[in-house]
Amino acid sequence: MARTRPIDAGELTEAEAIRRAQQGDADAFERIYRLHNRRVYALCLRMVGNTAEAEDLTQEAFLQLFRKIATFRGESAFSTWLHRLSVNVVLMRLRKKSLAATSLDETIEPDDESSGPRKDIGGPDLRLSGSVDRVNLERAVEQLPPGYRSIFVLHDVQGYEHNEIATIMNCSIGNSKSQLHKARMRLRQLLQETERARAREERKAAKGEPAGGK
Amino acid sequence: MLCEQFERAIQDEPDGPWPAAASLHLETCPHCRLLRADLDAIRVASRQLSADEAVPSENVWISLRSQLESEGLIHAPHSVHHYGPVPGAGLTALVHRWLGSAPRLAFAGAGLSLLLLAGALLSIPAAPSAAVASGGILATVLPATIGNYAPVDASLFAEVDLDHTLDGDMKRVMASLPDHNASLAISLQENLGIVDKLIAACEKSMREQPDNPVVRQYLYGAYQQKAVLLSTAIDRSTLEDR
Repeated sequence: MARTRPIDAGELTEAEAIRRAQQGDADAFERIYRLHNRRVYALCLRMVGNTAEAEDLTQEAFLQLFRKIATFRGESAFSTWLHRLSVNVVLMRLRKKSLAATSLDETIEPDDESSGPRKDIGGPDLRLSGSVDRVNLERAVEQLPPGYRSIFVLHDVQGYEHNEIATIMNCSIGNSKSQLHKARMRLRQLLQETERARAREERKAAKGEPAGGK
Repeated sequence: MLCEQFERAIQDEPDGPWPAAASLHLETCPHCRLLRADLDAIRVASRQLSADEAVPSENVWISLRSQLESEGLIHAPHSVHHYGPVPGAGLTALVHRWLGSAPRLAFAGAGLSLLLLAGALLSIPAAPSAAVASGGILATVLPATIGNYAPVDASLFAEVDLDHTLDGDMKRVMASLPDHNASLAISLQENLGIVDKLIAACEKSMREQPDNPVVRQYLYGAYQQKAVLLSTAIDRSTLEDR
């Protein structure tokens, strides 16, 4: 049977929905949720790689948002504020789980290992076959350290600009660019390792050797 | 420009623009050309990851809303007048949007009695029969029924004093609402009016098409909607008591 949507909430602009939500209007809350839930969920999913946990984090992010919405003054874009909350929620969760988690400061401040250009200038060149397999890329993204992953997902997957990322991650634009490059370099390394492993398996198969065996 | 300098340049500006010397370096260095090609491939592939954005399940919103309600952060709109006719399943959403307060209503059995009654109606054994042409008031909203369905003993409806039962429940609900919450009483009456109209429409169709199990299903659904409305009112009264 056809269902008639409520006239008000479905046509609220974001600004009006925020104003009403600050007064506790339930429909306005839902409007804000419907406007932003996909992006927040996508961010969480890319960060943790698990749908159940991503949903949990999405809920937590919006819960924090709605608890604090009365304090939003419009000094920054609402979506930027929301995504900053979301990133913080995710990083806090990862930190608790100790999944190679590092503090925001640690991920933004370059350490000895990651500072400067990579020293593989003399290493073997391995082209990524001109294109990158989506599944392999997703797996590689999941292996990135949380800080790299955050900036990579925000910039390359979700399309945020570096000035927006700097606000979300509370870092400088220069740091955002630097970390993005390092994230891509790490992905390149991971994808090359995947390529090498695949090539080894193919050679073994060609020789009639059991795959993955010793 | 050396390779190390080239990589520092792309680290500073991952997507350009780069100094002219970097572009010149690329023309002469296959290693850095390969590096740039790989990084471009990663960047392009990454854009595709967002193309099929996953959608969270509706449970996220349901759970979130429940939490917000329990924290007292949200409340219903002042009026439900904006809601148009919400037949059938749409009324469930209307009920969920209806937030307010009501005193504890001591008729927990009312909703259950509705469901038991509807279940008894639906438990009538059916046998295939010839197709009956669609018609009646629900023809415009129900899918046209084509096929075989069972004859129904319409006399069963005569034995059920459903209206009296429901009216009694409604009167108890209305009587127990606080005097100072007239808007709540008005909202409840409006929503119940919508449900009652739906039930009346379904019952009329049952009389016109007693052999149509689809119509019976919709009547069951209408009863269920009323039960949901009543049970939600009970839930709200529980929150009010806190």
